[in-house]
Amino acid sequence: MSTERIAVLVALLLAVTAHPLPAQNPAQLDKGRQLFLGMCSRCHGAEGGGAEGPSLNRPVLTRAVDDQALRTIIQDGIPDRGMPRIRRMSNGELDALAAYVRSLGRTAEVARQGSAEKGKAVYQRLGCASCHLIAGEGVTFGPELTNIGARRSPGYLRQAVVDPSAALPRGGTDVPGRGFDEFLPVRIVTREGREVNGLRVNEDSFSIQVRDAGNHLYSFQKAGLQTLDKEFGKSLMPDYKTRIAGADLDDLVAYLSSLGGAK
Amino acid sequence: MKIERFRAWIGACVCLALGGAAAAQVPYQRIAGAESDPSTWVTYSGNYQAQRFSLLDQISRQNVAQLKPAWMYQMRHPGIVETSPIVVDGVMYITEPPSTATALDVRTGRPLWTYTPKIPSDVIIIGSPPVNRGVAVLDDKVFFGTVNCHLLALDARTGIVRWDVEVDDNKKGYYVTGAPLAIDGKIIVGISGAETGIRGFLDAYDPKTGKRLWRTYTVPAPGEPGRETWGGDSWQHGGGSTWLTGSYDPDLHLLYWGTGNPGPDWNDDVRPGDNLYTCSLLAIDPANGKIKWHFQFTPHDVHDWDATEIPVLFDIEVQGRSRKVVSMANRNGFYYVLDRVTGEFITAVPYVKQTWTDGLDAKGRPFARRDADPKVEGTLVFPAITGAANWYSPSYSPKTRLFYHAARQMAGVYFKGDAEYKDGTPYTGGGGETKNGDEASGAVMAWEASSGKLRWEFKLLSPPWAGLLSTAGGLVFGGTEEGNFFALDAENGKPLWQLQLGGRVAANPVSFAVDGKQQVAIAAGSTLFVFGLP
Repeated sequence: MSTERIAVLVALLLAVTAHPLPAQNPAQLDKGRQLFLGMCSRCHGAEGGGAEGPSLNRPVLTRAVDDQALRTIIQDGIPDRGMPRIRRMSNGELDALAAYVRSLGRTAEVARQGSAEKGKAVYQRLGCASCHLIAGEGVTFGPELTNIGARRSPGYLRQAVVDPSAALPRGGTDVPGRGFDEFLPVRIVTREGREVNGLRVNEDSFSIQVRDAGNHLYSFQKAGLQTLDKEFGKSLMPDYKTRIAGADLDDLVAYLSSLGGAK
Repeated sequence: MKIERFRAWIGACVCLALGGAAAAQVPYQRIAGAESDPSTWVTYSGNYQAQRFSLLDQISRQNVAQLKPAWMYQMRHPGIVETSPIVVDGVMYITEPPSTATALDVRTGRPLWTYTPKIPSDVIIIGSPPVNRGVAVLDDKVFFGTVNCHLLALDARTGIVRWDVEVDDNKKGYYVTGAPLAIDGKIIVGISGAETGIRGFLDAYDPKTGKRLWRTYTVPAPGEPGRETWGGDSWQHGGGSTWLTGSYDPDLHLLYWGTGNPGPDWNDDVRPGDNLYTCSLLAIDPANGKIKWHFQFTPHDVHDWDATEIPVLFDIEVQGRSRKVVSMANRNGFYYVLDRVTGEFITAVPYVKQTWTDGLDAKGRPFARRDADPKVEGTLVFPAITGAANWYSPSYSPKTRLFYHAARQMAGVYFKGDAEYKDGTPYTGGGGETKNGDEASGAVMAWEASSGKLRWEFKLLSPPWAGLLSTAGGLVFGGTEEGNFFALDAENGKPLWQLQLGGRVAANPVSFAVDGKQQVAIAAGSTLFVFGLP
């Protein structure tokens, strides 16, 4: 038995002994699945496979190590990390959801493809650091990726590489505001005819703040603009569909998924 | 000089020394005649008609761009500030979250007194954040409600407690967030708590003693009319909160008060029927609390569409005939105009996208779509759970005859869940998720008040949570989620001035005059701002 397998076994044993899982009750799991489909699957994916939010089909959830923590997260959300509190739930509903989420951890995890180590080289070769920052290294034009593996599922990351405009991240913090698209491309033409293309930093009913590709900051009063195009459905990140081969893509996704200690 | 006369003379000097900042003496007649002294703001909505309109015209279209802060006051307690100040005789009375009353010198913003009642640490507040929307004044007292469901009368001069009564049991989830309404010899107060399965009511108290004069339940008991609109024993926990401040017609001698959702909110299994008098407007005789007429906007509500929004009174020509009407921008997305003498439905128009009803019949009853009911897996419906309107106030200008409302354009997903009644615990049966961010928006809308026909709108980035004030200066003041406080041209909606206040505006603006100079007050974030011309 390799050291790694021993570690996994120990972790599983710890999980079982320290936090006994609720008894399997098909009706309860069914109810939990129904609740999950309604409230959780948009971000965590059907069957907890992950999407914009992290996948939940793993034996250990980093932020919900025990059932009490899991119930608290389901009830209150993690507002500063983009997980909203959806609604108040009865104890029975919390039991059912927690049991269902735990049951996802017992399903076989999709085997990871690719090598994180090789992926790091792909990341460097493609020049991702000219827009992104990991652990203090790189440029801060695009999203920081230091903990991206803990926040996004591998499937979402794969899509973000090959088709970045398919989904912009929705804001989970106060800037630009909960639910607002982050890194939204905007095209602005002032009354004097000056054009600025960049990302929306923030906005209110009267003004908008923008960063361009050179990371220059602009502030405009909307009343002084000839054009304000919010380019929903677009991303300023080039799409890598044709620039990255299958194995390289697997490796890159494996590397990004490894960031932030996610399993 | 006799001692008594000497005392009176000294008193007069002290008064003058304070520049007239004497404590309020506000007899009922002063509130009923609010229009005769527009330098004051003597009741929650400015006048009994709840128009939130100021007759002051010093701040005008021409000079509003010069508005500057006069002073600011920072709240002592954290929380959302939804207070609507009362200003009279040189004093501004506000509430701070969750249940503090404070008097400020209106010239400087310096506190004259502040009073915070003891709130138990296990206070039950389910269904809203722990907010307070303001006080009422009458004679020499200031009245306000608390989150542990007490009604207090404070001495207007000192803030000392004159009396303190329990309106109802907070252990069952009753609490107070709305400003009371002071009328002739009565303090009217409504309650929150439908999310814990309370049975709603409206109360009247003797301002001198705190003795309860009457209580009118918003959900009928066995033997009372309307009981047949509730299946089984569901009326016992039927909700119908009265959590905002109603209006009053002193001539017709009728109170107008809106009621909230039935309980449980989103799981209607236990309450077949129309569920009277939830989501309704009640016309109540203040002499005895008797319901004179009712109009139910949303029978058998399953979306939490409280009809507690401010009922605004005005007289207007409708199809060539002068009518006394009451109107409401309802949370369900429709603007309603009713005859306020009889409760007769006159008209209603949708003002935002709505997907819950296939219109209304000739009497204003909706053809509610059952496929818009909440489901365990969720149902997407317009408007969102927080409604197309909410707690904050609209405004009616008798000058433009326009009704101004800050509309919320947003969808929500409605979930049906478990509902088990237990004292003081959530009895909501589900909940909702709002489609916020770039998918949602807001607008200040100006409607022809008699018909609801849109005259103009001014778009807002996000669905607003702040009320509007219209003025004789031809302005409409309002606030945004992002912290802008702004003034629009009341005739055409053109923006004339705005200032970023650095915190969400979740309050109602008011206007008054200090030493003959018009001021406008609004809370944003945890700060109250007062603006005037330089």
